[in-house]
Order: sequence, then structure tokens, then C-alpha cells
Amino acid sequence: MQKLEDVLKKWEPVIGLEVHAELTTLQTKMFCNCKLEFGAEPNTHTCPVCLGLPGALPVPNKAAIESIVLAGLATNCDIEKRSMFYRKNYMYPDMPKNFQTTQGPIAFCMRGHLDLSVDGKAASERYAIDDLSVGEGRENIVKTEDGYTAHVGITHIHMEEDAGKMVHIGGGEGRIAGATHSLVDYNRAGTPLIELVTEPDLRTPEEARLFMQKLRQIYLAIGISDCSMEEGSLRCDGNISLRRRGTKEFGTKTELKNMNSFKNLHDGLMYEICRQAEVLDEGGIIYQETRHWDPSAKRTVVMRVKETADDYRLFPEPDLAPYDLSDEFIERVRAKLPELPDEKAKRFEEDFSLSAYDARHLVEHRSTSDFFEACMKAAGQDDAAKLSKPIANLIINDVAGWLNSMGDVDLDDCALTPERAVKLVGMQVADKISSKQAKEVFALMIEQDKDPDAIVAEHGMEQVSDAGAIEAVVDEVLADNPDKVEQYRGGKTGLIGFFVGQCMKKMQGQGNPKIINELLEQKL
Amino acid sequence: MQHVNESDVAGIAQYVRIAMSDEEIAKMTVDLNNIIDSLAPITEYDLSGVEPTFHPIGDISNIMREDELKESFSQEVALENASRQEDGSFLIPSILGEGGDR
Amino acid sequence: MMNQMTLSQMRQGLLAKDFSSTELVHETFRNIEEADKSVHAFLELTEDAALETARVVDDSITMGTFDEMGILAGIPVAYKDNMNLLGTHTTCSSNMLANYVSPYTATCVQRTLDEGAIPIGKLNMDEFAFGSSTETSAFGATCNPWDLSRVPGGSSGGSAAAVASGMVPATLGSDTGGSIRQPAAFCGVIGIKPTYGVVSRYGVVAFGSSLDQVGPFARSVEDAAVLMNAISGHDPLDCTSQHISTDFTAGLADGIKDMKIGIVPAFMEAKGLSDEVKSKVEEVIEVVRSQGAQIVEIDLPNAQAAMSAYYVLGPCEAFSNLARFDSIRYGYMDPGHSNMDDQYDFSRAKGFGEEARRRIMLGSYLLSAGVYDKYYYPAQQVRTLITQDYASAFEKVDCIIAPVAPRTAFKMGEIADPSEMYLSDMFTISINIAGNGGMSMPVGLGSDTGLPVGVQLISPAFKDENMLKVAAALERQYGIAKVAPAFCADAKKGGE
Repeated sequence: MQKLEDVLKKWEPVIGLEVHAELTTLQTKMFCNCKLEFGAEPNTHTCPVCLGLPGALPVPNKAAIESIVLAGLATNCDIEKRSMFYRKNYMYPDMPKNFQTTQGPIAFCMRGHLDLSVDGKAASERYAIDDLSVGEGRENIVKTEDGYTAHVGITHIHMEEDAGKMVHIGGGEGRIAGATHSLVDYNRAGTPLIELVTEPDLRTPEEARLFMQKLRQIYLAIGISDCSMEEGSLRCDGNISLRRRGTKEFGTKTELKNMNSFKNLHDGLMYEICRQAEVLDEGGIIYQETRHWDPSAKRTVVMRVKETADDYRLFPEPDLAPYDLSDEFIERVRAKLPELPDEKAKRFEEDFSLSAYDARHLVEHRSTSDFFEACMKAAGQDDAAKLSKPIANLIINDVAGWLNSMGDVDLDDCALTPERAVKLVGMQVADKISSKQAKEVFALMIEQDKDPDAIVAEHGMEQVSDAGAIEAVVDEVLADNPDKVEQYRGGKTGLIGFFVGQCMKKMQGQGNPKIINELLEQKL
Repeated sequence: MQHVNESDVAGIAQYVRIAMSDEEIAKMTVDLNNIIDSLAPITEYDLSGVEPTFHPIGDISNIMREDELKESFSQEVALENASRQEDGSFLIPSILGEGGDR
Repeated sequence: MMNQMTLSQMRQGLLAKDFSSTELVHETFRNIEEADKSVHAFLELTEDAALETARVVDDSITMGTFDEMGILAGIPVAYKDNMNLLGTHTTCSSNMLANYVSPYTATCVQRTLDEGAIPIGKLNMDEFAFGSSTETSAFGATCNPWDLSRVPGGSSGGSAAAVASGMVPATLGSDTGGSIRQPAAFCGVIGIKPTYGVVSRYGVVAFGSSLDQVGPFARSVEDAAVLMNAISGHDPLDCTSQHISTDFTAGLADGIKDMKIGIVPAFMEAKGLSDEVKSKVEEVIEVVRSQGAQIVEIDLPNAQAAMSAYYVLGPCEAFSNLARFDSIRYGYMDPGHSNMDDQYDFSRAKGFGEEARRRIMLGSYLLSAGVYDKYYYPAQQVRTLITQDYASAFEKVDCIIAPVAPRTAFKMGEIADPSEMYLSDMFTISINIAGNGGMSMPVGLGSDTGLPVGVQLISPAFKDENMLKVAAALERQYGIAKVAPAFCADAKKGGE
């Protein structure tokens, strides 16, 4: 199969996302007072309403309506005061009423958007933006210093309810195919769910991933969901079609399911784009179908072909009163809006003189942005300005990487304290240790739960910045390698790295690289 | 008037999940066409500019409850009307396809 | 003679210690055992629960706390079988639910129990309330106590027949297009469909969610008003229920002098209206006039569209409401299928009767893409027009008098064509569409058939007390509704 970068030369992917988030931070379900709890014994959180018993009637959870309005406000949506619930009718065993209570053409939240900052490697997936100069725009993007920003429209966010869970027995890996029977658990049935639908404004798998990451940050910030992609409280489906570059008309789309991590979202979309390109390049046609991303096989497989548009016999739910939200209601919700990641990033830029890049990446996770703020506090007013940039670097590179590798670590409850981070970065800034040593100290600090200065002292890591001592080593290295010195002087300046390395080796890594460099350049 | 033919009726029967023999479909087709004929008045009204009333009288809106826990059924009660159960869950035979848009 | 007592007389008898609650309950079940052999109103009896409650009532009488027991203390009450009552079968007269045992109780039922009522049992009905004769019950038809060869009307036929035969003084039914009023008329008892939202629907198996309303059957206006007091009012479990605190017993003795009563000339000229019903309605108009009410002719220009709107909206909502019967959590499961699709298809094919299947199919068709705009949406627009019709009529009048059913009770099996059966509800349906209250008041026997005739009294929305006042005035003329002659204790002595 072709590589994505080759596909993109000829084809333009058009991607829209449908993102479901369970409102897991609420106490109770959407239409009844049963407890929301993941992983409970099957069918222990049910009642007449969420079992769909004959005669039962729904009553909406006010906190759920507040949550979706909050989500709408946080994603720049218009809040529709007047809306209704509808019944979406289809029979499936995990649906207790065999209709899903959802919303119709008018949802609580309409016409929103998120602006994505795409930088570094992620930006390279976007085809041909090199001709743009910084600040120049095309379609929904604007070129920036380190990539571009993309304006992604949100069609709407609507309120609905989740279905129960099924376990398929007798087939492979719990899949439907080949199963002899299934077991149904309705604990999850009726869980409040908000579905966000984007405009088909995304063009690369990275943009899709970034959109999901940003949306997750926002949902976490406003506290409406635990957003666990693993447990399925945040789920994402993608609609993908290709069109020939330069054309406007949409191609036939496929719907991609089971992208239950950011990586799967990216890889699934990438595969599907390349698959569609291959089909189209060979003169084939794309069928409108639902496909399943299989991360282990690294491919998408057909789940269901949609021959005709599904007809769900949608009609207004007569058991639920319509909504006509008051300004007071909306303003009361608005008052609950916390500082959102974009606002926080802006504040970091202004208050701590960070680059937009650093600020953006710091706020990618609540834990890292909180940690950064704690560090700034620990550093005190005088040092904060001096240390903000290196601390941001430490967090973005080392801390985030470590957090990633550890999975679910609580930063409030580990050996890495803001005080230690400030001390560590302070030593580095004062040239007491090299950046390479700083990394080692960071690792030891977490591993051994010790202060960074203690580790440095213990391991004799103090960086040598004494020019006299360094000069002796530099002279020695130059004397040992006369051929390389000649080559360097003949123009192979790249050899500077070799000399630095040799010096460092002789000094057991404790030489100040800046001074080594300076001296080498002088003498060469 | 023929509003639905037998193939339409067979399609509806499949959607609402009711098994029907060919004879039943033939009879249902006749019945439905007769009933739909009798609904003609609804199509003959001049209703331009008339708002629909989806929710009956009373002028109620914004009905919501507080997010408060109440007792749920025990697993035993939840399952007591089920024809088949296993391990605390409702048991169904194998499913042929994915449902809805999931 | 206990079987001829009204609710109020029973209450007095209990208070005066003429009989104990336990004695009344024993007598009630003895009577049912005898009478229901021919009427077949009951599907299930709740003798244990009844005797248990009776003991509590008797204790309260002994201890002098009877008044704290509630306004229905010691009164035998039975419920249409679409109302959940914990521990009883709630079958909706369908094979689909033959084995379903309610794990919870409907609000309307609970409210009667909270008022001290004695639960007697569950009553026959048309399957899922689809019908006007109770002949579609999967468990056999109910017979009209006035003529056992005739239908009691429907769908709440069991609820009407149980009261008309004196088995219980009070029952609850539900009305989606006439299902309380028409059987009340056929059986010569009072049947009230309150304004939509007056009584909670929670726990009552839904047919047409925007049309269904629960109401009482009784033989005296006061009894009916007491029952209304017991079951009405806001229920946090039903979003469409309203905050009502009307005392429906108040003002019943006030008379109707100065009340404005509307009549609808178009109804009186309607095709199919029998002469005996028409002349009874005319007679009733004269009665209210003679009692000082002013008669005003009104127009309901869109009422004739109600029928087709109803046969769009009802099946659409029913199709969706009946989707939950899928054989998984409850309900009939056709055994032996190796895949779920077949289990669905055959469970629903065999569990549902013919009329239920027909309405599910019809509703599904009417809501399908492209068809929705042709029928469902206009039907909801027609609802607006009909509601406006009633609203403007009630600017001129306090209550409307109309026929209930075009004729008196018909013979079992007489009407086989579904669309002819649908005509039974021609005078009642528009009230469900608009949502306001309507009731059937028995006004004696028809001159041709000698069978009970009811007139319909129609109230403005949330002014259900208006029709009760007019009913009380009629009761002063016609007397309290009698138990059907064959079931009077005296008549029985004469032997059948």
C-alpha cells in the first residue's frame, strides 16, 4: 500500500469526527436515578426506566443538561434555548426500549468550533503549505511559525443516552462473529452521553488526533467526563472520504469505528485513507460502509454495508417536555466555566514569557499545566522568569515522557515535587550540571526519591566549568588526534562534535559543554 | 389506492421484527392500504402556517430532576422476568449483525 | 346487598361498623367468584393483598384512626391490566405479557393504595388497549353485564363491566381515544378521562403517550370525584403530569344555574349516530336547560379531522412504545431459535395479536422517511387546530354535551372490520387529540335497545371539575347508576 505522503499528493482526505462522551462525573443516569458506575456486577444498577419496563417513563437529569450546555460554551457553540428530545427507533438487544432517546435537528449546542495548532511533525502531514508565508491563510488554515492553525467547525453537540453492554460468548476475542450467544448487562444503559459532530473540516490524521486531544483537555477541564478512551467513556468514530486534489465534490465516505486511543485514531484514519486511495487508484469504488479498525492486524475491516440510508423513524419524544432554557439557566452554567486550556496557554505566554509552542504543550494535560504552575510558585517571583523556559522544557520533554511511560501516575503523589524540579533546573541553568546530567538526575530523583542536589553530590556529577581544567583536556584531545585536526582545518567542521565527545569522555561527562566548545573553536 | 405493496410490507415487517408468512403479508398489505386510504383527510387540509403540537397541552417545558441517587433493583429482581439468563446477565442467542449506527 | 353499594355507602358502613373491612373483602371475592363466571372482567385476583390491607383497615377502625387511613380506606378497587402493581401479572391482555410479573407499581395504583384502597385484582381489556370491545383480549372477551351477548366496550371493558356488575364500586381504566368513556357508556357507569396531565401515567403500559390518560370508573358522581382526588396531581416520575390540587368533590351540590353548556350541531347530525342515542342527548340538553343552564351552540370546525389524526398519531406512538417487547428482559420468548433475529421475529409475531401487529406496522410506515411529512407532521398540525377549536369554544361555554358512542353496546363479533370498529370512537377521539377532559355519564336506557346510554360531558383543559358539576346535576335527574339487573342481589335470588 502507498505511503500517506504519496497518497496526499493526489488525494485530499476529508475527515469528520463523531465524538461520544459519557458524563461519568454525574451521580445518576440520564433519565433515572440509577447509579453511574463502570465495572459493577452486571444488572445491579437498573430500574424500570433503564430496563425499559412497560409503563416506565423518563425524567431528564438536570446536571446532564447543565453539562452539555457547559460543553457547548467551552467549544464556542451557540446554545439553543429551544430544543426537544426525539426517539430514534431501531431494535438491538442492548437497547432496553428499542429506541434511543436523542435529539433531533436542533440540539442543545449548535455551530461551535475549535482552533487547532498543528506544529512539528504533525504539521508535515498537511499537504503543500510550504508556499504559504506566516500569517497567510488557505481554506480553514493559517500558516504559523512552526506549522499552522486549523479552524474546525462543530456542527452540533446533542444529548443522548448510552446503550447496555454485551459480551459475546463462543466467538473469537469476544466478537459477534462466530459467537454462540451473548450476555446483556444494562448497567450502562441510560448513561448520559453527549455526541459532538464536527464539520468535515479535518484533512489529516494528525488534525483528527489533535482535535480529539484538545476536546479531551476541554472536557477534562470542565469536569464533565473522565474521558477514558480505554473504558469507552470517550469514543470516537471517523467519517472519511477522499477527493482528487483541486476538486470540491465529496467522495463516498466510510465510517470508521473502534479507534479507542489517540494512536488508534491516527493509525486507523491513516490506514483507511491509504486503503481508499488504493481502491480509487485501481479504478474501484468506495462503498458506504462501516469499518472496524483492528489495531493488531493494522487494518480496517467491514462491519456493515449501508445499502440505503438508515431510517430510524425519528419523531419527537412525547414523554419528555420540550426545552426552553432561560438566560438565567445558561448564565448559571457559564459561571461554572473554568479557565480553558487555550486561555491558560495564553496566560502562560504572558505571565511567564513562554513561547506559544511551550505554553500550548504545557496545557495539553491538566497534570502538566498544574505542575508547571506549582513550579513557578516554588521558584518564587524572582526566579520564575528565569526558570520558566527550562522548566517548561523539563515538563514537556522529561516529565510528559515519563508520565506517558508510567501510564496513570498522580503527580501530586510521587517523588517529583515542584521544589525538586526547580532545584534541578536551577542547577542546570547555573551550569552546575549539563543537560545530559540533568536527565540522569531526573531519572534518579524519581527512582530514589531524593533531592537533586543530594544525587549530584553523591554521584560527583558537579559539572566542571573551570576553564583551566577544561583547557588541559582540550589540548590533550587535539594532540591525540592530529589527523582529525587537519581535516577540520581543511573544512570538515562537522568534526567539532567528535572533539567535544572526546573531551566529555575524558571528563566523565562532567565538563561544561559550552566552555569545551568555546575552547575548541578557539584552538582549532 | 396502493400506498404500499407486498415488498414494502415485507420490509416494514423486517424492520419492526415481526415474522410474517406470504399470506400474512398479502393480508396486511390490503389492511394497511385500506387504513391509509382512510387517513386521506389529513393530507387534504390546508395547514400552511400551522405549528405542530408535538407535546400535548399544559405548556410544560424544562422538566428536569436533581442528580440524586435512588435505590436500584437487585440483580435478582432485574432478571426475574427474563426467559433466559446467565451469570447475572440476560442471555440471547447469537446476533447476526451490528445494530443501528453503532 | 353489599354489591350495590357505592364507595361512599361502603365508607359509611365501615365507619358505622355495619360490617368490617374483612367482611367486605370476603363478600367482594364471593360476589366476584359468582358474577365473574359470566362477565369475565377479572384476569387476576389479589385476595391475599386485599385481606392484608383489610386487616389494617379494621385495626384502624378499632383504634379510631380510620380517618387517617385515607379517602379510599377499605374500598375495594380493581385496576385495568395495563397498570403495574407489584407482584401481580400485568398482561395488557396479551400473550406477549402472559408471564410478566410487575416488579413495581404504577403511580395511579399506588395513590389509591396510599389512600387505603383494597386491591382486588386486574381487569380485562383489549390487547394493549387497541380496540373498542375488549374482544381482542388474548384471554377471552368480557361480557356486558346488561346483556351478556354484547360487548362491554373497550378498551377498558373489564373496568366498566366490573363496576356495572357490582363486583367492585370503583376501578381505574385508561383512555387513549375513548377507552374509558365508551365502555362506561356501554355498561351504564360513570367513566372519566381527565385532562392530559392530571393523572400520572407512570407505570401504565403506554399505547399513545401523548394521548393516554388514566381515569376512574364509578357509579356515583361523588365516588368518581373522590377517586379523582385520590389519583390526580403531580408525579415527579411523569414529566407530563401537572401540579393539580383541585378538590373534585367541591361544588358538586352547587347546581348548574348560570353555567353555559355547549352543544355541537355537527355532532348531532353525524352520520351513524343512532336515533336512541341522539334523542337521549337531546333529552339531557333539556334536563340541563331545565336546571337553569344556558345552552349555546358551538362549532368545532376541525373535529372531523380528529379521526384521521388519531389513526396517525396513535399507531406512530404505539409502534415505538411496543418496540420494547423484544423477548429479552421480559415478555414472550419463542423458544428454540439459534439467532436473535429469528427470536425477535417469532416472539413478536406470536406474542402480539393481530390488531397490535397491524398498528405497529402502520405506525412504522407512517413514520418512515418521506411518509412522515405526509401524515405524522400534518396530524400534529391538526392537533394544534383541534386544540384551538376547543380553546375558543370554551371561551363561550363551561362544558360541552355530546354523544359518547354513536350507538349502544353491540353484539359480540358483530363488528369485524377494523375501520368500522374505529368509528366507535368518533365522538371521543378529538378530546384525546386536544387533551382536555371528557367523561361518560349514564342517563338511563335507550328507547330502542333498552341498553345503557351515556352522554359525554367535555371540560376545558384543567377544569375537569366543570363536567363533574354537570354530571352531578344529571345524577339528580337520573339517579345513581344502577348495577346491571342480572347482578343485583335481589334479582339473583330469583335465580338464573
